[in-house]
Amino acid sequence: MTHSDLDSVRRPIASAHGLPNAHYTDPAVFAEERDALLAAEWAGLGVAADVPEPGDARPLDFLGMPLLLLRDRAGVVRVFHNICRHRGMILVDAPRRIEGALRCPYHSWCYSTEGRLVSPPHVGGPGQNTAQGIDRGTLGLIEVRSHIWMGVVWINLSGDAAPFEEHHAELLSRWGEFDHPLHHGGADSCFTLDVACNWKLAVENYCESYHLPWVHPGLNTYSRLEDHYHIEAADRYSGQGTHVYRQLTGPEGQRFADFEGLTSKWDTAAEYIAAYPNVLLGVHRDHAFTIVLTPKGPGHTQEQIHLFYPEADTDANLRARNTAQWKTVFEEDIFVVEGMQRGRHAPAFDGGRFSAAMDGPTHMFHSWVAARMQHHRAQAKAAE
Amino acid sequence: MKALEAALLAAHDAGDRHALVTLYQQAAEAVSGAERAFFQTQAHVFAMEVAQPQAAALRAQLVAMGREEPL
Repeated sequence: MTHSDLDSVRRPIASAHGLPNAHYTDPAVFAEERDALLAAEWAGLGVAADVPEPGDARPLDFLGMPLLLLRDRAGVVRVFHNICRHRGMILVDAPRRIEGALRCPYHSWCYSTEGRLVSPPHVGGPGQNTAQGIDRGTLGLIEVRSHIWMGVVWINLSGDAAPFEEHHAELLSRWGEFDHPLHHGGADSCFTLDVACNWKLAVENYCESYHLPWVHPGLNTYSRLEDHYHIEAADRYSGQGTHVYRQLTGPEGQRFADFEGLTSKWDTAAEYIAAYPNVLLGVHRDHAFTIVLTPKGPGHTQEQIHLFYPEADTDANLRARNTAQWKTVFEEDIFVVEGMQRGRHAPAFDGGRFSAAMDGPTHMFHSWVAARMQHHRAQAKAAE
Repeated sequence: MKALEAALLAAHDAGDRHALVTLYQQAAEAVSGAERAFFQTQAHVFAMEVAQPQAAALRAQLVAMGREEPL
Protein backbone atom coordinates (compact mmCIF):
# COMPACT_ATOMS: atom_id res chain seq x y z
CA MET A 1 0.00 0.00 0.00
CA THR A 2 1.23 3.49 -0.73
CA HIS A 3 0.34 6.85 0.72
CA SER A 4 -1.33 7.76 -2.52
CA ASP A 5 -3.95 5.09 -1.78
CA LEU A 6 -4.88 6.95 1.36
CA ASP A 7 -4.58 10.32 -0.35
CA SER A 8 -7.29 9.19 -2.72
CA VAL A 9 -9.53 8.38 0.23
CA ARG A 10 -9.14 11.92 1.55
CA ARG A 11 -10.10 13.59 -1.70
CA PRO A 12 -13.47 15.39 -1.92
CA ILE A 13 -16.23 12.79 -1.86
CA ALA A 14 -17.13 13.10 -5.54
CA SER A 15 -13.69 11.85 -6.58
CA ALA A 16 -12.64 9.88 -3.49
CA HIS A 17 -12.08 6.16 -3.28
CA GLY A 18 -12.86 4.05 -0.22
CA LEU A 19 -10.16 2.55 1.95
CA PRO A 20 -8.03 -0.12 0.27
CA ASN A 21 -8.80 -3.82 0.83
CA ALA A 22 -5.84 -4.30 3.14
CA HIS A 23 -7.66 -2.26 5.79
CA TYR A 24 -10.20 -5.06 6.00
CA THR A 25 -8.15 -8.18 5.42
CA ASP A 26 -4.48 -7.67 6.33
CA PRO A 27 -3.44 -8.59 9.90
CA ALA A 28 -0.56 -6.11 9.72
CA VAL A 29 -2.89 -3.22 8.89
CA PHE A 30 -5.31 -4.42 11.56
CA ALA A 31 -2.45 -4.13 14.08
CA GLU A 32 -1.57 -0.65 12.81
CA GLU A 33 -5.18 0.45 13.15
CA ARG A 34 -5.28 -0.96 16.66
CA ASP A 35 -2.59 1.53 17.64
CA ALA A 36 -3.54 4.45 15.39
CA LEU A 37 -7.33 4.37 15.65
CA LEU A 38 -8.34 2.47 18.76
CA ALA A 39 -5.56 2.83 21.34
CA ALA A 40 -4.81 6.46 20.53
CA GLU A 41 -8.45 7.61 20.72
CA TRP A 42 -11.33 7.27 23.17
CA ALA A 43 -12.60 3.79 22.30
CA GLY A 44 -15.61 1.96 23.70
CA LEU A 45 -14.79 -0.99 25.94
CA GLY A 46 -18.16 -1.99 27.42
CA VAL A 47 -20.91 -0.53 29.55
CA ALA A 48 -20.87 0.51 33.19
CA ALA A 49 -23.95 -1.67 33.69
CA ASP A 50 -21.66 -4.70 33.24
CA VAL A 51 -20.39 -4.00 36.78
CA PRO A 52 -23.51 -2.73 38.57
CA GLU A 53 -22.42 -3.14 42.20
CA PRO A 54 -19.27 -2.16 44.13
CA GLY A 55 -16.72 -4.95 43.87
CA ASP A 56 -18.12 -6.29 40.59
CA ALA A 57 -15.29 -7.28 38.27
CA ARG A 58 -15.42 -8.36 34.64
CA PRO A 59 -12.36 -9.47 32.66
CA LEU A 60 -12.38 -8.31 29.05
CA ASP A 61 -10.18 -9.06 26.09
CA PHE A 62 -9.73 -5.89 24.09
CA LEU A 63 -7.54 -6.07 21.01
CA GLY A 64 -5.70 -9.00 22.55
CA MET A 65 -5.09 -7.11 25.78
CA PRO A 66 -6.38 -8.53 29.05
CA LEU A 67 -8.32 -5.74 30.78
CA LEU A 68 -10.39 -5.68 33.94
CA LEU A 69 -13.54 -3.63 34.32
CA LEU A 70 -14.10 -3.06 38.04
CA ARG A 71 -16.45 -0.98 40.15
CA ASP A 72 -14.49 0.03 43.22
CA ARG A 73 -15.71 0.13 46.80
CA ALA A 74 -16.79 3.78 46.41
CA GLY A 75 -18.77 2.97 43.25
CA VAL A 76 -16.29 4.39 40.73
CA VAL A 77 -15.95 2.34 37.53
CA ARG A 78 -12.30 1.73 36.72
CA VAL A 79 -10.37 -0.14 34.05
CA PHE A 80 -7.11 -1.89 34.83
CA HIS A 81 -4.75 -4.13 32.99
CA ASN A 82 -5.85 -7.52 34.30
CA ILE A 83 -2.40 -8.54 35.51
CA CYS A 84 -0.54 -8.84 38.79
CA ARG A 85 2.48 -6.55 39.11
CA HIS A 86 4.52 -9.50 40.37
CA ARG A 87 4.66 -12.15 37.62
CA GLY A 88 2.05 -10.85 35.22
CA MET A 89 -0.52 -13.46 36.20
CA ILE A 90 -4.12 -12.89 35.07
CA LEU A 91 -5.94 -11.67 38.16
CA VAL A 92 -9.60 -12.31 37.33
CA ASP A 93 -10.56 -14.96 34.79
CA ALA A 94 -14.36 -14.79 35.02
CA PRO A 95 -16.90 -12.15 36.07
CA ARG A 96 -17.32 -12.11 39.84
CA ARG A 97 -17.80 -9.97 42.93
CA ILE A 98 -14.62 -8.93 44.77
CA GLU A 99 -15.67 -9.03 48.41
CA GLY A 100 -12.61 -7.40 49.94
CA ALA A 101 -9.14 -7.39 48.42
CA LEU A 102 -8.38 -8.62 44.91
CA ARG A 103 -5.98 -11.51 45.50
CA CYS A 104 -3.73 -12.80 42.75
CA PRO A 105 -4.32 -16.56 42.50
CA TYR A 106 -0.59 -17.22 42.02
CA HIS A 107 1.39 -15.78 44.98
CA SER A 108 -1.54 -13.91 46.57
CA TRP A 109 -0.37 -10.34 46.12
CA CYS A 110 -3.43 -8.36 47.22
CA TYR A 111 -4.87 -5.17 45.74
CA SER A 112 -7.67 -2.87 46.82
CA THR A 113 -10.51 -2.32 44.37
CA GLU A 114 -8.96 1.11 43.77
CA GLY A 115 -5.88 -0.74 42.49
CA ARG A 116 -3.55 -0.12 45.43
CA LEU A 117 -1.13 -2.91 46.37
CA VAL A 118 -2.14 -3.62 49.97
CA SER A 119 0.05 -6.62 50.68
CA PRO A 120 2.57 -8.79 48.85
CA PRO A 121 2.67 -11.74 51.30
CA HIS A 122 6.01 -13.36 52.10
CA VAL A 123 7.75 -11.03 49.65
CA GLY A 124 10.66 -10.62 52.05
CA GLY A 125 10.71 -14.32 52.99
CA PRO A 126 8.26 -16.50 54.94
CA GLY A 127 6.08 -14.30 57.15
CA GLN A 128 7.88 -11.12 56.05
CA ASN A 129 5.55 -8.99 53.94
CA THR A 130 7.87 -6.09 53.23
CA ALA A 131 11.07 -6.02 51.26
CA GLN A 132 13.56 -3.47 50.07
CA GLY A 133 12.74 -2.42 46.52
CA ILE A 134 9.09 -3.40 46.79
CA ASP A 135 7.57 0.08 46.83
CA ARG A 136 3.83 -0.41 47.15
CA GLY A 137 3.19 3.13 45.98
CA THR A 138 4.52 2.27 42.53
CA LEU A 139 3.23 -1.29 42.29
CA GLY A 140 -0.51 -0.81 42.17
CA LEU A 141 -2.59 -2.18 39.33
CA ILE A 142 -1.95 -0.41 36.04
CA GLU A 143 -4.99 1.72 35.40
CA VAL A 144 -6.28 2.64 31.96
CA ARG A 145 -7.71 6.11 31.50
CA SER A 146 -11.49 5.80 31.34
CA HIS A 147 -14.64 7.88 31.16
CA ILE A 148 -18.35 7.03 31.37
CA TRP A 149 -20.79 8.65 28.95
CA MET A 150 -24.10 7.37 27.59
CA GLY A 151 -23.58 4.35 29.84
CA VAL A 152 -20.48 3.37 27.83
CA VAL A 153 -17.04 2.87 29.35
CA TRP A 154 -14.67 4.74 27.04
CA ILE A 155 -10.94 4.14 27.35
CA ASN A 156 -7.86 5.86 26.05
CA LEU A 157 -5.14 3.21 26.08
CA SER A 158 -2.35 5.51 24.93
CA GLY A 159 -3.13 7.89 27.78
CA ASP A 160 -2.43 10.98 25.73
CA ALA A 161 -5.74 11.87 24.07
CA ALA A 162 -7.40 15.13 25.09
CA PRO A 163 -9.80 14.76 28.03
CA PHE A 164 -13.03 13.04 26.91
CA GLU A 165 -15.24 16.09 27.54
CA GLU A 166 -12.88 18.17 25.45
CA HIS A 167 -12.42 15.61 22.68
CA HIS A 168 -16.15 15.06 22.31
CA ALA A 169 -17.31 18.55 23.33
CA GLU A 170 -19.30 18.99 20.13
CA LEU A 171 -21.15 15.71 20.51
CA LEU A 172 -21.82 16.31 24.20
CA SER A 173 -23.27 19.68 23.27
CA ARG A 174 -25.33 18.27 20.39
CA TRP A 175 -26.93 15.73 22.70
CA GLY A 176 -26.86 17.89 25.81
CA GLU A 177 -30.61 17.43 26.20
CA PHE A 178 -29.99 13.74 26.90
CA ASP A 179 -27.60 14.48 29.74
CA HIS A 180 -29.77 12.64 32.26
CA PRO A 181 -29.22 9.40 34.14
CA LEU A 182 -29.66 6.48 31.77
CA HIS A 183 -31.25 3.35 33.21
CA HIS A 184 -30.13 0.11 31.64
CA GLY A 185 -33.16 -2.00 30.77
CA GLY A 186 -31.60 -5.09 32.37
CA ALA A 187 -31.05 -8.62 31.12
CA ASP A 188 -33.75 -8.35 28.43
CA SER A 189 -32.22 -5.16 27.07
CA CYS A 190 -28.84 -6.33 25.87
CA PHE A 191 -27.58 -8.81 23.34
CA THR A 192 -24.42 -9.62 21.44
CA LEU A 193 -23.94 -10.25 17.75
CA ASP A 194 -20.84 -11.98 16.42
CA VAL A 195 -20.31 -10.76 12.90
CA ALA A 196 -17.84 -11.97 10.27
CA CYS A 197 -16.67 -8.53 9.20
CA ASN A 198 -14.08 -5.92 9.95
CA TRP A 199 -15.24 -3.51 12.66
CA LYS A 200 -15.10 -0.54 10.28
CA LEU A 201 -17.75 -2.04 8.03
CA ALA A 202 -20.18 -1.98 10.96
CA VAL A 203 -19.39 1.73 11.44
CA GLU A 204 -19.75 2.51 7.74
CA ASN A 205 -23.09 0.78 7.42
CA TYR A 206 -24.43 2.43 10.58
CA CYS A 207 -23.45 5.91 9.41
CA GLU A 208 -25.67 6.14 6.37
CA SER A 209 -29.36 6.01 5.58
CA TYR A 210 -28.83 5.15 1.91
CA HIS A 211 -29.38 1.44 2.55
CA LEU A 212 -32.55 1.76 4.63
CA PRO A 213 -35.19 1.23 1.93
CA TRP A 214 -33.38 -1.85 0.65
CA VAL A 215 -32.15 -3.53 3.79
CA HIS A 216 -34.75 -2.36 6.32
CA PRO A 217 -38.02 -2.23 4.37
CA GLY A 218 -39.96 -2.42 7.64
CA LEU A 219 -38.49 0.87 8.79
CA ASN A 220 -39.04 2.39 5.38
CA THR A 221 -42.80 1.94 5.60
CA TYR A 222 -42.94 5.00 7.81
CA SER A 223 -39.39 6.40 7.79
CA ARG A 224 -38.59 7.08 4.16
CA LEU A 225 -35.22 8.04 2.79
CA GLU A 226 -36.24 11.66 2.38
CA ASP A 227 -37.12 11.84 6.07
CA HIS A 228 -33.43 11.43 6.96
CA TYR A 229 -30.56 13.86 7.20
CA HIS A 230 -26.79 13.49 7.44
CA ILE A 231 -24.84 14.22 10.61
CA GLU A 232 -21.23 15.14 9.95
CA ALA A 233 -18.57 16.37 12.36
CA ALA A 234 -15.16 15.89 10.80
CA ASP A 235 -12.63 13.86 12.81
CA ARG A 236 -15.10 13.02 15.56
CA TYR A 237 -18.37 11.47 14.47
CA SER A 238 -20.88 11.04 11.68
CA GLY A 239 -24.27 9.47 11.24
CA GLN A 240 -27.85 10.10 10.31
CA GLY A 241 -31.01 11.49 11.79
CA THR A 242 -34.69 11.07 11.08
CA HIS A 243 -37.58 13.52 11.35
CA VAL A 244 -40.27 10.88 11.79
CA TYR A 245 -39.45 8.78 14.83
CA ARG A 246 -42.57 6.99 16.02
CA GLN A 247 -42.83 5.77 19.60
CA LEU A 248 -43.51 2.14 20.38
CA THR A 249 -47.02 1.75 21.78
CA GLY A 250 -48.43 -1.13 23.83
CA PRO A 251 -51.88 -2.70 23.29
CA GLU A 252 -53.41 -0.36 25.85
CA GLY A 253 -51.65 2.70 24.56
CA GLN A 254 -48.76 2.50 27.02
CA ARG A 255 -45.47 4.12 26.06
CA PHE A 256 -42.07 4.64 27.62
CA ALA A 257 -41.61 7.89 29.52
CA ASP A 258 -39.72 10.68 27.80
CA PHE A 259 -36.39 12.08 28.89
CA GLU A 260 -37.14 15.21 30.87
CA GLY A 261 -36.91 18.64 29.35
CA LEU A 262 -36.53 17.72 25.68
CA THR A 263 -37.31 20.42 23.15
CA SER A 264 -40.04 19.82 20.57
CA LYS A 265 -37.50 18.79 17.93
CA TRP A 266 -37.30 15.44 19.67
CA ASP A 267 -41.04 14.79 19.47
CA THR A 268 -40.36 13.11 16.16
CA ALA A 269 -36.58 13.24 15.72
CA ALA A 270 -34.08 10.48 16.41
CA GLU A 271 -30.36 10.46 15.74
CA TYR A 272 -27.87 7.68 15.10
CA ILE A 273 -24.21 8.57 15.43
CA ALA A 274 -20.97 6.65 15.09
CA ALA A 275 -18.53 8.18 17.59
CA TYR A 276 -15.14 7.34 16.13
CA PRO A 277 -13.65 4.87 16.40
CA ASN A 278 -15.97 2.11 17.56
CA VAL A 279 -19.11 3.25 19.39
CA LEU A 280 -22.50 3.48 17.69
CA LEU A 281 -25.15 5.47 19.54
CA GLY A 282 -28.85 6.16 19.07
CA VAL A 283 -31.12 8.59 20.90
CA HIS A 284 -34.89 8.96 20.88
CA ARG A 285 -37.30 10.83 23.11
CA ASP A 286 -37.97 7.70 25.18
CA HIS A 287 -34.88 5.50 24.96
CA ALA A 288 -31.28 5.32 23.84
CA PHE A 289 -29.04 2.48 22.74
CA THR A 290 -25.35 1.90 22.45
CA ILE A 291 -23.41 -0.55 20.32
CA VAL A 292 -19.82 -1.16 21.30
CA LEU A 293 -17.84 -2.77 18.50
CA THR A 294 -15.06 -5.02 19.74
CA PRO A 295 -12.64 -5.90 16.95
CA LYS A 296 -11.65 -9.56 17.26
CA GLY A 297 -9.57 -9.78 14.11
CA PRO A 298 -9.46 -8.31 10.60
CA GLY A 299 -12.67 -10.15 9.68
CA HIS A 300 -14.43 -10.65 12.99
CA THR A 301 -16.28 -8.19 15.20
CA GLN A 302 -18.36 -8.54 18.31
CA GLU A 303 -21.25 -6.10 18.66
CA GLN A 304 -22.52 -5.51 22.20
CA ILE A 305 -25.92 -3.83 22.13
CA HIS A 306 -27.48 -2.22 25.23
CA LEU A 307 -30.76 -0.32 25.59
CA PHE A 308 -31.36 2.44 28.15
CA TYR A 309 -34.44 4.29 29.39
CA PRO A 310 -35.16 7.56 31.21
CA GLU A 311 -36.64 5.69 34.19
CA ALA A 312 -35.64 2.61 36.15
CA ASP A 313 -39.12 1.08 36.01
CA THR A 314 -40.40 0.35 32.54
CA ASP A 315 -43.08 -1.91 31.11
CA ALA A 316 -41.45 -5.33 30.68
CA ASN A 317 -43.49 -6.30 27.63
CA LEU A 318 -42.85 -3.02 25.90
CA ARG A 319 -39.17 -3.27 26.76
CA ALA A 320 -38.96 -6.78 25.32
CA ARG A 321 -40.69 -5.60 22.14
CA ASN A 322 -38.26 -2.70 21.82
CA THR A 323 -35.26 -5.02 22.20
CA ALA A 324 -36.73 -7.44 19.66
CA GLN A 325 -37.44 -4.61 17.22
CA TRP A 326 -33.87 -3.33 17.34
CA LYS A 327 -32.45 -6.84 17.20
CA THR A 328 -34.34 -7.42 13.97
CA VAL A 329 -32.95 -4.21 12.49
CA PHE A 330 -29.36 -4.98 13.50
CA GLU A 331 -29.62 -8.57 12.29
CA GLU A 332 -30.89 -7.31 8.94
CA ASP A 333 -27.56 -5.50 8.57
CA ILE A 334 -25.45 -8.62 9.05
CA PHE A 335 -25.65 -9.92 5.50
CA VAL A 336 -24.44 -6.60 4.08
CA VAL A 337 -21.47 -6.12 6.39
CA GLU A 338 -20.48 -9.77 5.96
CA GLY A 339 -21.03 -9.46 2.21
CA MET A 340 -18.78 -6.39 2.04
CA GLN A 341 -16.16 -8.26 4.07
CA ARG A 342 -16.13 -11.12 1.56
CA GLY A 343 -16.01 -8.55 -1.21
CA ARG A 344 -12.85 -7.08 0.27
CA HIS A 345 -11.01 -10.22 -0.84
CA ALA A 346 -11.57 -9.27 -4.49
CA PRO A 347 -8.15 -7.97 -5.63
CA ALA A 348 -9.79 -5.91 -8.36
CA PHE A 349 -11.79 -3.84 -5.88
CA ASP A 350 -10.29 -0.37 -5.58
CA GLY A 351 -12.04 0.67 -2.38
CA GLY A 352 -15.15 1.75 -4.25
CA ARG A 353 -16.70 5.11 -5.03
CA PHE A 354 -19.13 7.11 -2.96
CA SER A 355 -22.44 8.75 -3.69
CA ALA A 356 -21.78 12.42 -3.04
CA ALA A 357 -25.42 12.85 -2.12
CA MET A 358 -25.89 9.83 0.11
CA ASP A 359 -22.52 8.62 1.45
CA GLY A 360 -21.17 11.74 3.14
CA PRO A 361 -21.11 10.30 6.67
CA THR A 362 -19.40 7.11 5.47
CA HIS A 363 -16.82 9.02 3.47
CA MET A 364 -16.17 11.20 6.52
CA PHE A 365 -15.30 8.09 8.50
CA HIS A 366 -13.03 6.74 5.74
CA SER A 367 -11.32 10.08 5.50
CA TRP A 368 -10.74 10.13 9.26
CA VAL A 369 -9.26 6.62 9.16
CA ALA A 370 -6.97 7.60 6.29
CA ALA A 371 -5.81 10.78 8.02
CA ARG A 372 -5.12 9.03 11.33
CA MET A 373 -3.22 6.25 9.58
CA GLN A 374 -1.11 8.69 7.61
CA HIS A 375 -0.33 10.57 10.80
CA HIS A 376 0.56 7.33 12.60
CA ARG A 377 2.82 6.18 9.79
CA ALA A 378 4.53 9.56 9.59
CA GLN A 379 5.24 9.45 13.31
CA ALA A 380 6.58 5.90 13.07
CA LYS A 381 8.84 6.91 10.18
CA ALA A 382 10.12 9.95 12.08
CA ALA A 383 10.97 7.73 15.03
CA GLU A 384 13.12 5.40 12.88
CA MET B 1 -1.59 -30.38 64.67
CA LYS B 2 -2.41 -33.20 62.28
CA ALA B 3 -6.12 -32.46 62.64
CA LEU B 4 -5.47 -28.79 61.93
CA GLU B 5 -3.43 -29.66 58.83
CA ALA B 6 -6.23 -31.87 57.59
CA ALA B 7 -8.77 -29.13 58.23
CA LEU B 8 -6.61 -26.61 56.36
CA LEU B 9 -6.26 -28.91 53.36
CA ALA B 10 -10.00 -29.53 53.35
CA ALA B 11 -10.70 -25.78 53.53
CA HIS B 12 -8.26 -25.14 50.65
CA ASP B 13 -9.93 -27.89 48.61
CA ALA B 14 -13.35 -26.41 49.31
CA GLY B 15 -12.18 -22.85 48.68
CA ASP B 16 -13.65 -21.94 52.06
CA ARG B 17 -11.72 -18.76 52.72
CA HIS B 18 -13.62 -17.86 55.87
CA ALA B 19 -12.58 -21.18 57.37
CA LEU B 20 -9.00 -20.58 56.19
CA VAL B 21 -8.85 -17.36 58.19
CA THR B 22 -9.90 -19.17 61.36
CA LEU B 23 -7.67 -22.18 60.80
CA TYR B 24 -4.55 -20.19 59.94
CA GLN B 25 -5.16 -18.06 63.02
CA GLN B 26 -5.26 -21.24 65.08
CA ALA B 27 -2.06 -22.42 63.43
CA ALA B 28 -0.40 -19.08 64.22
CA GLU B 29 -1.42 -19.25 67.87
CA ALA B 30 0.18 -22.68 68.24
CA VAL B 31 3.68 -21.53 67.21
CA SER B 32 5.94 -18.53 67.61
CA GLY B 33 8.50 -16.37 65.81
CA ALA B 34 8.82 -16.60 62.05
CA GLU B 35 6.49 -19.56 61.89
CA ARG B 36 3.80 -17.58 63.65
CA ALA B 37 4.30 -14.67 61.22
CA PHE B 38 3.91 -17.07 58.31
CA PHE B 39 0.55 -18.44 59.47
CA GLN B 40 -0.62 -15.00 60.58
CA THR B 41 0.15 -13.70 57.08
CA GLN B 42 -1.90 -16.51 55.56
CA ALA B 43 -4.82 -15.64 57.83
CA HIS B 44 -4.47 -11.95 57.03
CA VAL B 45 -4.51 -12.49 53.25
CA PHE B 46 -7.69 -14.55 53.30
CA ALA B 47 -9.30 -12.16 55.78
CA MET B 48 -8.59 -9.27 53.42
CA GLU B 49 -9.90 -11.22 50.45
CA VAL B 50 -13.28 -11.92 52.03
CA ALA B 51 -13.42 -8.60 53.89
CA GLN B 52 -13.57 -10.20 57.32
CA PRO B 53 -13.58 -7.60 60.09
CA GLN B 54 -10.57 -9.14 61.84
CA ALA B 55 -8.36 -8.32 58.85
CA ALA B 56 -7.48 -4.99 60.47
CA ALA B 57 -6.46 -6.62 63.76
CA LEU B 58 -4.43 -9.29 61.99
CA ARG B 59 -2.64 -6.60 60.03
CA ALA B 60 -1.99 -4.54 63.14
CA GLN B 61 -0.39 -7.56 64.80
CA LEU B 62 1.83 -8.15 61.78
CA VAL B 63 2.81 -4.48 61.75
CA ALA B 64 3.69 -4.74 65.44
CA MET B 65 5.83 -7.77 64.64
CA GLY B 66 7.68 -5.73 61.97
CA ARG B 67 6.25 -7.96 59.26
CA GLU B 68 3.80 -5.71 57.46
CA GLU B 69 3.13 -2.07 56.58
CA PRO B 70 0.13 -0.18 57.90
CA LEU B 71 -2.53 0.69 55.33
